[in-house]
Amino acid sequence: MANKSLINNRILLVEDEESLAVGLEYNLVEEGYTVDWAKNGREALKLFESKKFELIILDIMLPYVNGFEVAERVRQIDPQIPILILTARTATGDKIKGLESGADDYLTKPFHLKELLLRVKGMLKRKAWYQKTSSKQPVYKFGDNEINFENFSCKCKDKEFTLTAQEAMVMKYLIENKEKIVSRKELLENVWHMNPDIETRTVDNFIARLRKYFEPDPSNPVYIKSVRGAGYVFENKPL
Amino acid sequence: MKKRQSLFYHILIFVLAQIAWLALLGLWIYWYVFNYIVFKKVGDQVSPQLTYDITNVVPFVIGLVLLIGISFTTTWIFRHLNLQLRLNKLYDNFIGNVTHELKSPLSSIQLNLETLNSRNVPPEKRKEFINLMMKDSSRLQRLINSILEISALEQKKLAHDYQVYKAEPLVRQLLNGSIEQFRLSEGSVTINGSTQCEIVVDRNALKIVLDNLVDNALKYSTEPIHINVNFSHNTNKFFIEFSDKGIGIPPKEQKKIFHKFYRIYHKNVPSVKGTGLGLYWVKEIIKNHGGKISLFSEGENKGTTFKIEFPIYKTSKKRFVNKLLKRTERNKERILVDG
Repeated sequence: MANKSLINNRILLVEDEESLAVGLEYNLVEEGYTVDWAKNGREALKLFESKKFELIILDIMLPYVNGFEVAERVRQIDPQIPILILTARTATGDKIKGLESGADDYLTKPFHLKELLLRVKGMLKRKAWYQKTSSKQPVYKFGDNEINFENFSCKCKDKEFTLTAQEAMVMKYLIENKEKIVSRKELLENVWHMNPDIETRTVDNFIARLRKYFEPDPSNPVYIKSVRGAGYVFENKPL
Repeated sequence: MKKRQSLFYHILIFVLAQIAWLALLGLWIYWYVFNYIVFKKVGDQVSPQLTYDITNVVPFVIGLVLLIGISFTTTWIFRHLNLQLRLNKLYDNFIGNVTHELKSPLSSIQLNLETLNSRNVPPEKRKEFINLMMKDSSRLQRLINSILEISALEQKKLAHDYQVYKAEPLVRQLLNGSIEQFRLSEGSVTINGSTQCEIVVDRNALKIVLDNLVDNALKYSTEPIHINVNFSHNTNKFFIEFSDKGIGIPPKEQKKIFHKFYRIYHKNVPSVKGTGLGLYWVKEIIKNHGGKISLFSEGENKGTTFKIEFPIYKTSKKRFVNKLLKRTERNKERILVDG
């Protein structure tokens, strides 16, 4: 059973395989979630525009509009909603494309029910944590940088850009744990919710990207520092 | 993107090879003509014993033949390379589709089994899950059979059971079986026409043909399905016209639709299920019966009509049809001996 706070969260299930969708819907409802089932990409986008959802479980090979396109369009409207791609496509290229389209997690078929439910729970918990912490302090400033955690917009000196949901989560987590060492494993557990497909190298890539955005000199970071053999630490001391 | 780039490089290499060949040809002709002129002008003075006879032309001709040979070989290699690239693309599509077709029912069976194992499922829902699992296992069985049978068909290893049948009652009976199998509603299939002719067919193979056409009509119909089947014949052939009111097939795709692994990827296609083998299988079966299949569609959303023709027994393709019957006899005898 899901946490009490997560009960009644509305999930959009986008799956064209009837037998799989029936089983998934039953299990998610049993966990206490409310589920809306869309049989194709077009129906998914219609449903998404008409109702408020807390999470999307999305197949890729869908009639009319494929899963990548659905994720991209959803991301344009809502940068925060967690998207879990559930697909038979196992190629690394597809995984990268899925994550680049805006998905937060990627699970391949056939999958274990418990694993899926844990991932869903984890994503909803992270969303709730993110919303709670962001509402307290939606805008955070450090040096010449300013991040709005509600709409992911950033200002760095004269540049303006938008972070992806995952980048914002990593940044939020580091800021929440300011001046504390955050290990790669901890980031994997709390931001990616221990995705076994994602290696620690992915965390390093994310950090490298964030340094490029926010550090005056990414090769000599002053905000997101590396601690050899331990992880990363965020510092916001006046320069 | 990578595939497009690789095609671009192949074309570029081909164009460069052609330019290099033409330049070489030009240089060769230029060299020969230049030397010939010089030789003619000063040859007598330098070495009077040298003669200009026909043998001097031989190296020139050999050079030309060699260069033209290189050009033909380059073109031939380029043509086959392109063919290989197209085949690779189709093969990739096939692997992707088969993976999807295998994993989808498998994951649904696994999910439903895990659900039954870990939850206290009410009896009605339990029955629903079991039915869904049975449906999925038949889907897996159909897929595996189709791949194995197509392979056997291609290698001529399939033991057909060709028999003489009255065409109309047989097709009607098989169609009714398909209607039942695909749980089509009453009135969704209309059968017209009447004929007394006889044809030689393998009943199971013909069932595969009709099932595939019904499945296709189901996959590519957005509105409630409606299939119209019409029988007719002339002196030599028995015809089945199978029409649906589905999304139709664009004219440029109509020729390719019977190719192995070929599938139409279009935004208006209401289903992504399939391996790209169904219509290829249908075509191969009909070809093995000495028949033909063609299709007609006015375009998108205008439906599709498949026209199948079989030779009428004792009237058309007598030698071919008798060979089919003899092959069945031989197979039966072999089974009896082995048994």
